Amino acid sequence: MKGMKKIIVILSILTTAISWVSIDTLYRKPKPVPFPVPKGWPQPVYDFSKNPLTEEGIALGKKLFYDTRLSKDGEISCASCHQQFGAFNTYDHNLSHGFNNSLTTRNAPGLFNLAWQKEYMWDGGINHLDLQPLAPITAENEMAETIENVINKLKLDKEYQQLFKAAFGDETINTQRLGKAISQFELQLVSSNSKYDKVMRGEAAFILPEQLGYDIFKKKCITCHSEPMFTDYSYRNVGLPIDSYLKDFGRMKITGDPADSLKFKVPSLRNVAMTFPYGHDGRLFSLMSVFEHYRKNMVVSATTDPLLKNKMALSNYEIGQLTAFLYTLTDSSFLKDPRFAPPGNENSGKLPADIHR
Amino acid sequence: MNKANNTIFVLAFCWIMLAIPIAGFSQKQVTLIFHHKAGNEDLVLGNSYTTALGEKITVQRFRYYISNISITDKQGKTTLLPVEYFLVDEADSLSKIINLSVPDNTIGSIQFLLGVDSIRNVSGIQTGALDPMRGMFWTWNSGYIMAKLEGISESSTIAGHYFTYHIGGFKGPNSTLKTITLNIPQTTTVQELHINADINTWFKNSSEIRTSETPVCHMPGPLAKKIADNYSSMFSINTIR
Ligand code: HEC
Ligand code: HEC
Repeated sequence: MKGMKKIIVILSILTTAISWVSIDTLYRKPKPVPFPVPKGWPQPVYDFSKNPLTEEGIALGKKLFYDTRLSKDGEISCASCHQQFGAFNTYDHNLSHGFNNSLTTRNAPGLFNLAWQKEYMWDGGINHLDLQPLAPITAENEMAETIENVINKLKLDKEYQQLFKAAFGDETINTQRLGKAISQFELQLVSSNSKYDKVMRGEAAFILPEQLGYDIFKKKCITCHSEPMFTDYSYRNVGLPIDSYLKDFGRMKITGDPADSLKFKVPSLRNVAMTFPYGHDGRLFSLMSVFEHYRKNMVVSATTDPLLKNKMALSNYEIGQLTAFLYTLTDSSFLKDPRFAPPGNENSGKLPADIHR
Repeated sequence: MNKANNTIFVLAFCWIMLAIPIAGFSQKQVTLIFHHKAGNEDLVLGNSYTTALGEKITVQRFRYYISNISITDKQGKTTLLPVEYFLVDEADSLSKIINLSVPDNTIGSIQFLLGVDSIRNVSGIQTGALDPMRGMFWTWNSGYIMAKLEGISESSTIAGHYFTYHIGGFKGPNSTLKTITLNIPQTTTVQELHINADINTWFKNSSEIRTSETPVCHMPGPLAKKIADNYSSMFSINTIR
């Protein structure tokens, strides 16, 4: 009896020791990163328990986001179409350039506060952030690559082998981990530090035109562009008529329901001063053209939102105030946050020369 | 803790460790073997067949998901087997053989889902048979393609005379998920269950599907539903061993 007890004790000490030694030498645990929810904001919908944020995961995701090898010709990365100084939209482009001089059929939206979003794309066709990268990677007019080729390229790369191991514990490189890593980087893109946010937190005050604009906004826009995300994530038709070339019926493409014809996701208006041109196909080139659309150019049809059946009355005076307010939604610390800059450019902090505000 | 207590713990631990493999051994094996057919003929990729509607087709791809398998034994007790997903592919002969561990192989019927249950359609990227890399996932309209039949048809009016039926949709009225039940004629002990899957049902059953009229189905909706209704009776029992 005594001998057996000794053996048990020795064995358990040995196994514990071996497991610790091997964990220590082969694998350093990734470092958890918290996800602070800005004050007054709802809880995010992204399920972090299935993809816990870690320093290593985020670093890997960022490398993938900026890596042109995700495309067929090695020329296009996610960041080619999602540029930080445009709040991760394609700056100053109605449509973006994809593989072999092709064009996307929609305007690239800014990327931020994605953890609060349930569905992605203008038509909400993608139901999980992790899945989203598979669409641009495989689209002929975006990166034109196959998932299989991307995974094979990554598997052959020594650096990626190490980065995947550091992030996920072993060297397995698969589609799921690719998606999770890119999500980890994208989830970091939280924009919550505009002048508007500072005013809400009591750290700053609106000047008069901004305050008047905010009051008008609360009357005319807030049902759809609801605070604090500046979208209610619903799909609505605001009367942009069908483009005869693009033939984009929006949400109907996903649901097949004629009642969803010409409905598109309400875009967030955070950083809106930087995300021109506007609308799902970028046909509205300035805020002024958005206002002209709402008050004059709308084409009302059966599926046009009930709130806009008579278009929207807006005086020049109101447009001036609204514009002043919309500019308070620009979060310049987000646009320049070195954590999101291309790998190796984290410290330049410079805006591109052609930026015009 | 006293010594007696300690010993009991050690013994209990040993018993559990021993019990695990024993429980495993008491399981019986049943093998499902799928045989793909075009009517009475064996389906061979690249060969030509005439559909039940008289259209001449050459099949290039035939694949479908099987999941959520359960077995009903002679007492009528149904056991849901551990959830696993199988992509059965005519081009991959190994994929047509599925080995199952069941509590009792005296079987009255077998049930399975033809497709991927809705929860896996909304839970991000999956691995293994469900990896989107397998080409059975719509990236622009998240969801699995439950079953795929592709080829060339003389009657097809699109470029290359192709027909491509990618059948999917897991939501509400657009759901193409089909629960299949195969009854074993006389409840018997089963080692191998040979199952036929007849592509002819895709074209003619409750609806008539002509490649001349609808050569392409690439999204959830009424056409996908019709084809799924049709193919929901493509399975039948070939032989039992
Ligand atoms: C060729 C340009 C292009 C490339 C490359 C590209 N995107 Fe996009 N991105 C777009 C466009 C255009 C949309 C809007 C598409 C739509 O709504 O159908 C979009 C939409 C998105 C969205 C959805 C945003 C929302 O609010 O719904 C996310 C997230 C995103 N892209 C991330 C990525 C990632 C990650 C990559 C790299 C794997 C990538 N993009 C590569 C152009 C591009
Ligand atoms: C009925 C809901 C609704 C109301 C009310 C509404 N919007 Fe919109 N807004 C939308 C939708 C939907 C879009 C996207 C339309 C599209 O591209 O098809 C949009 C687009 C925009 C855009 C373009 C953003 C971008 O990134 O492309 C701006 C700017 C905008 N709205 C400002 C406003 C302002 C300011 C008000 C109030 C005066 C307002 N909206 C009222 C639903 C609404």
